[in-house]
Amino acid sequence: MAEEPSKLSEGFQESSEVITVRPTELSDVDDLMVWLTDDQVSRYCIWDTYASREQALDYIKNIAIPHPWSKVICIDNRAIGAISVTPNSGNSKCRAELGYVLGKYYWGKGIMTRAVKTVASAIFDEWPYLERLEATVDVNNKASQRVLEKSGFQREGVLRKYKILKGYSRDVVMFSFLSTDRSPS
Amino acid sequence: MEKSRISVRPFKLSDAEDFLTWASDDQVTQYLRWNTIYTIEEALKYIQEVAIPHPWRRSICLDDRSIGYISIKPESGSDRHRAHVGYAISSEYWGQGIVTVALKIAISSAFKAFPFLVRLEALVEEENKGSQRVLEKVGFLKEGFLRKYGYNKGKIRDMIIYSFLVTDNIWLPEDSDQDS
Repeated sequence: MAEEPSKLSEGFQESSEVITVRPTELSDVDDLMVWLTDDQVSRYCIWDTYASREQALDYIKNIAIPHPWSKVICIDNRAIGAISVTPNSGNSKCRAELGYVLGKYYWGKGIMTRAVKTVASAIFDEWPYLERLEATVDVNNKASQRVLEKSGFQREGVLRKYKILKGYSRDVVMFSFLSTDRSPS
Repeated sequence: MEKSRISVRPFKLSDAEDFLTWASDDQVTQYLRWNTIYTIEEALKYIQEVAIPHPWRRSICLDDRSIGYISIKPESGSDRHRAHVGYAISSEYWGQGIVTVALKIAISSAFKAFPFLVRLEALVEEENKGSQRVLEKVGFLKEGFLRKYGYNKGKIRDMIIYSFLVTDNIWLPEDSDQDS
């Protein structure tokens, strides 16, 4: 994601850009196609660029909708990106993984940071047994690392060859946000 | 400690008594994900149902008698290039460099057994200094401190993560201090 200095001060909404986060619907397919088919968007994602409407519908039906917690990020109810929290089970139930993606047109405006901050706070209320929200980011994806830093995540270290991306094993930066990291409201 | 006395081999049912000696010790099992084993029946059951079917769980042996274990478990699916390392030995043999020797043997073995394996990782609790020394002496790299990473035995734990890559060099005895 490209980075520009944000014109927003923290805590204020741009007057014309109210962001909402809601479940994915099949009718979102054309909006999702905009970024699902974009190589620049999928570059650091584990999924490969989508090529057809059928594949996009398949993604919505078989991945987004059944997922325990996967939503679209909307402006004017149009899906400009997605954000998900993937839970674990058993002894790892205290830990969940955050993932997110945004259409290129919306990069550099502080939108992803706002969405991440909102989700990072809310998820602990929805899942009271959750203690740790973590995210891994490719070492080269500086913009995504900035999103997490601005959202209050703590950088914990570089994990070598942790994830496979487009067939290559990649180093990632591990970030975490604890339930106790939330500022008192 | 004479290195030729140390070996790493699959578990056998006949290891049950020796296994019970160290697996019944809370000091040995305190940082492990599995619980202390108290009876010979449980020991036999564990060897039969867990140790033997495991993708790669081996007994650390001294003069061919089981004094501990090492296991290497690849993750599933798209993360199978990554494997978790676990180990423990009888408190009687702590501090003699035995796990260091056994771990080096295990690493070479595992990379041959799992050709798609790229990364070994170990999670260690902050207070488990002995285990951290073992990993560092073998050549694992400490990567970070993972806050409230998971539960073990009813308590949420911070964990230090270490890794060893297929491209890393195992430390030779000359590289590390004399066996502690």
